[in-house]
Amino acid sequence: MQRYWDTPVTWGHAGLFLLGALAVLAVVILFVTYAIYFERKVLGWMQYRRGPNRTGPLGLLQTVADVAKLLIKEDTIPAKADRALFILAPALAFVPSFLVLAMIPYGLHLQFADLNVGFLYYIALSGVTTIAIVIAGWSSNNKYALLGGMRSAAQMISYEVPLVMSVVGVAMMAGSLNLRDIVLYQEGYFWHWNFLPQIVGFAVFVVAAVSELNRTPFDLPEAESELVAGYHVEYSGFRFAFFMLSEYIYVYAIACLATILFLGGWNPPFPQLDFIPGLIWFALKFAAVVFFLFWIRATLPRLRVDQLMGLAWKVLLPLAIANIFLTALGIEWFGKGG
Amino acid sequence: MNFNIDFTGEFFAFFLLAVCAIVGAVLAINFEKVVHTTLSLAFTFVSLAGLYVLLEAEFVAFVQVLLYVGAVTILMIFGIMMTKHQGEGKEPGRPLLEALAAIGCLCLFGILFYAIRSAGFPAPAADLPEDNTLSIGKLLYSAYAIPFELVSVLLTVAFIGAVALAKREEEDS
Repeated sequence: MQRYWDTPVTWGHAGLFLLGALAVLAVVILFVTYAIYFERKVLGWMQYRRGPNRTGPLGLLQTVADVAKLLIKEDTIPAKADRALFILAPALAFVPSFLVLAMIPYGLHLQFADLNVGFLYYIALSGVTTIAIVIAGWSSNNKYALLGGMRSAAQMISYEVPLVMSVVGVAMMAGSLNLRDIVLYQEGYFWHWNFLPQIVGFAVFVVAAVSELNRTPFDLPEAESELVAGYHVEYSGFRFAFFMLSEYIYVYAIACLATILFLGGWNPPFPQLDFIPGLIWFALKFAAVVFFLFWIRATLPRLRVDQLMGLAWKVLLPLAIANIFLTALGIEWFGKGG
Repeated sequence: MNFNIDFTGEFFAFFLLAVCAIVGAVLAINFEKVVHTTLSLAFTFVSLAGLYVLLEAEFVAFVQVLLYVGAVTILMIFGIMMTKHQGEGKEPGRPLLEALAAIGCLCLFGILFYAIRSAGFPAPAADLPEDNTLSIGKLLYSAYAIPFELVSVLLTVAFIGAVALAKREEEDS
């Protein structure tokens, strides 16, 4: 990043950045389109249904049709809503979710910004989306929306704490918060990947991450049966599409982070399999994590709202802190890590 | 006075962030609804974080976003939503007071501008470390271990105090 600061800005540099951003946007939109299709198919199969199969071959164009419908739908703004904030909230939710993608290393040399505080960057920006959700709920001037926004803020703030704590163990072992260094640290056989030495941290990370994503079994902010749809009750058309888009981009980001922090990033499970490019290994692990998210959505019921906070503060947080102590002891006794 | 400017990326980034920070702060004063004020304050916080990144202090920058934008702003929004916010009317203007305040602000601006223009910025003796997050961590747990622990004790005390206060109110009602 530094090298661009000291040189004069040319149209070439600006164009290069623009092209890079557009490429990521294209990849992400393609991912979101087919993640939704895949999710509906997986849910269908697990519930002994077929899932979407009418639009296009095998139903492959179903999401495209859905998005087209959302874009040409009438855009409604409630009369009693706070107009400016109502319009601002979807953008405010989307922008940080897209910015988060800047620091994800897909390969040793395939990364936009090599930050030395990569994980912190993700956590910090995802907090901005929480504000957007609260603002969306408040500005809609609707009881259900406000309740959904409140729940969401309480939940996301509570689960952010164990999420950060669970990664401290990984950072201690690698001796860095830089995501690339963390992946380089996990080189070797698959038992060198962090998910085995950091099994407690990994478990806490998975639970807290699912909760951060507001997905089942933690989808209380938009629990259909209690809150109609939560914070985006009043949204329709492309503003609603923006909320959905940012939700799925966070799925993408969390799946990437889980791959990088705990599943060895672009490293093959055996060094002998090195001839297969790292990007393919990354994509395989990434797809497995995404499938796991859909799988638990299909099989687990929703938590009760009073159990939710108890789980975060009384179970996950002590576990994450115990994991930090155990990691420190392990590093002290076996001399592993930085 | 000479303003020798070369149009580097740093220059553009600095001016964009500086303007954003000032706009956020000015709007925070001018908005009438408290939620709007809080949001523009958050905007200023984000711009300040951007300025920290420009100064190569990434750790401070993202902790700033995490704490001020992620936690403090949401706390304020919560507080506002829980309280009534009807009857936020416009206060009658007070021209004399406003004129005096404007003169005071201009004087302050003049002093600050003069001080900044006449100040010298000596280059630091040693180069900044490559991985400054690592150096911050090492310093916190070696040279500054005792102040660090004292701050955490202070935070724990505040935390327990908050719980005790909330508990007592619960029993009263």
